[in-house]
Amino acid sequence: MTETYLAPLWISLKTVLVATVITFFLGIAAARWMAHYTGKCKSLIDGLFILPLVLPPTVVGLGLLLLFGKNGPIGQFLELFNTTIVFSWPATVIAAVSISFPLMYMTARGAFEQVDTHIEDAARTLGASEWRVFWSVTMPLSWPGVASATILSLARCLGEFGATLMLAGNIPGKTATIPVAIYFSIQAGDMNVALILVGIVLVIAFGSLAAIAYWKGKAYKARAAMANREVVE
Amino acid sequence: MLEVRLKRKLQGFTLDVAFKVDQEILAILGPSGSGKTMTLQCISGLVRPDEGYVSLNGTVLLDTSKKINLPARQRRVGFVFQNYALFPHLTVSQNVGYGIRHLPPDEIKEKITNLLGKMNIPHLSDRFPRQLSAGQQQRVAVARALAPEPEVLLLDEPFSALDSLVKERLQLELQALHEFYKGIILFVTHDLTEGYKFSSKIAVFESGNIVQHDDKERVITCPSNHTVARLVGFKNLMEGSVTKVQNNVATIEVPELGGAILAKVSNASRLMPSQRVTVGIRPEYVQLRKEAGENTLYCTMDRIAEGVSATNCYFHVNTVGVTRHYLMVILSRPDSGVIKEGQKSHLYLPPEHVVVITN
Repeated sequence: MTETYLAPLWISLKTVLVATVITFFLGIAAARWMAHYTGKCKSLIDGLFILPLVLPPTVVGLGLLLLFGKNGPIGQFLELFNTTIVFSWPATVIAAVSISFPLMYMTARGAFEQVDTHIEDAARTLGASEWRVFWSVTMPLSWPGVASATILSLARCLGEFGATLMLAGNIPGKTATIPVAIYFSIQAGDMNVALILVGIVLVIAFGSLAAIAYWKGKAYKARAAMANREVVE
Repeated sequence: MLEVRLKRKLQGFTLDVAFKVDQEILAILGPSGSGKTMTLQCISGLVRPDEGYVSLNGTVLLDTSKKINLPARQRRVGFVFQNYALFPHLTVSQNVGYGIRHLPPDEIKEKITNLLGKMNIPHLSDRFPRQLSAGQQQRVAVARALAPEPEVLLLDEPFSALDSLVKERLQLELQALHEFYKGIILFVTHDLTEGYKFSSKIAVFESGNIVQHDDKERVITCPSNHTVARLVGFKNLMEGSVTKVQNNVATIEVPELGGAILAKVSNASRLMPSQRVTVGIRPEYVQLRKEAGENTLYCTMDRIAEGVSATNCYFHVNTVGVTRHYLMVILSRPDSGVIKEGQKSHLYLPPEHVVVITN
């Protein structure tokens, strides 16, 4: 009986964790690249990156299905290795990454562009490689923005429904994440199961909000303590 | 030695400069938007010029014709930014140590202590940049730039963010910097007094070109053209034509002053009779005289503008039929009591201080 609730919870947690990590690195890589890119196709690439945010998730899901399906280019390529993505657990991750990527990319790029380029240039003249400039200067200075981008992406991954359903379907114990399980419980008239799943989502949501608030408060206190140390000429 | 040749299209003008700097301090002087900062950025490798060549003590850093373009991190060029650009999330020690982390920890520590001591800020090592005054931030920025022992140090408007008291003290300290930093120093400024005080040579920039590059003394005594003359403080500039050149003394007819004035010239051969020239004299060299004589003009004082250490007086020439031309005279504060607005006086222009600029 607990399997009904624990399986979706477990699948959701796994998916959210893996998808957020992937989105984090993909997003900041794309953001870093676009923040410095000055080529002709800038707005075109920018538009492509943000597209999943403006399209209905089901459309994104359909697009992924066409890519990863039996006749899709990626699907056919994976066929060579006897792997199918559609209706498997990795599909939930791919769907969540595709949907949350624009949020990570947009917010992180905004944060990177806020960093004073002179400070990055100073690091360069001091012998730092681009890699070191990014991790020792750009990232720490845009950390608040990148952190909120990560939290937004995580929340979006947790709530992902449309694209997941299209690509991963609803296979209990395999691809059914909490949002998908809630929908199908209601469809089956199983109101109690749906409500308990909703309760679980609420706990996770409030839990993470509380964690963020606690972490922010700590960071704020540390900053305030530092600022209070007097400036002595 | 630093050798620089740069060409880069900018908004409204093209930067096109070439110069060489020995182990010395060169001031790059010019109005804002003349390409000064861009020049420093091209030398440091932060900006790539359209065409150019930069070599530093025999190493080629940039040669667009040979497709050589070392990235900034490999150039060994120290850069002090106008806003100092300290790393706000790192302490003073960590800022200074940023460029030398390849050294062993003991050596890093020693070097930081040493540099902070030389910059007179050993007590600030654990502070964050936001806890420092502008003057302290500047010292940290200089210490940070010097830590990796660059062969050339570039300073972009180093004193522009400071108030006048701190500015004076820091200028003195930075002059002392050359005693322990043996490399080349280039610094950008739009302030002549700053450039003169701090450097041994001055390069004057005007809309992307170097109009004069000389010993600082030559720049302020023998400006090469009208723009330089104005920039280096020749407030009195007048058009005229040469009438006679004899024994290194040129006689120049200046209609604006209603007569001829004499000028001592070092290189008389470049002047031809009836040649159009500009004559100029610094306002501090004009003297008040009781009687008429050689090179004197009879003038009336129109306006007086009292300053803190000196007073600016504006005279016009009394000769009939002359369009009103103003001459500016700077009197030291104790002397300024001798004359009041509306009074008349003879102004003596010492021929050795009258400069003749051929256009």
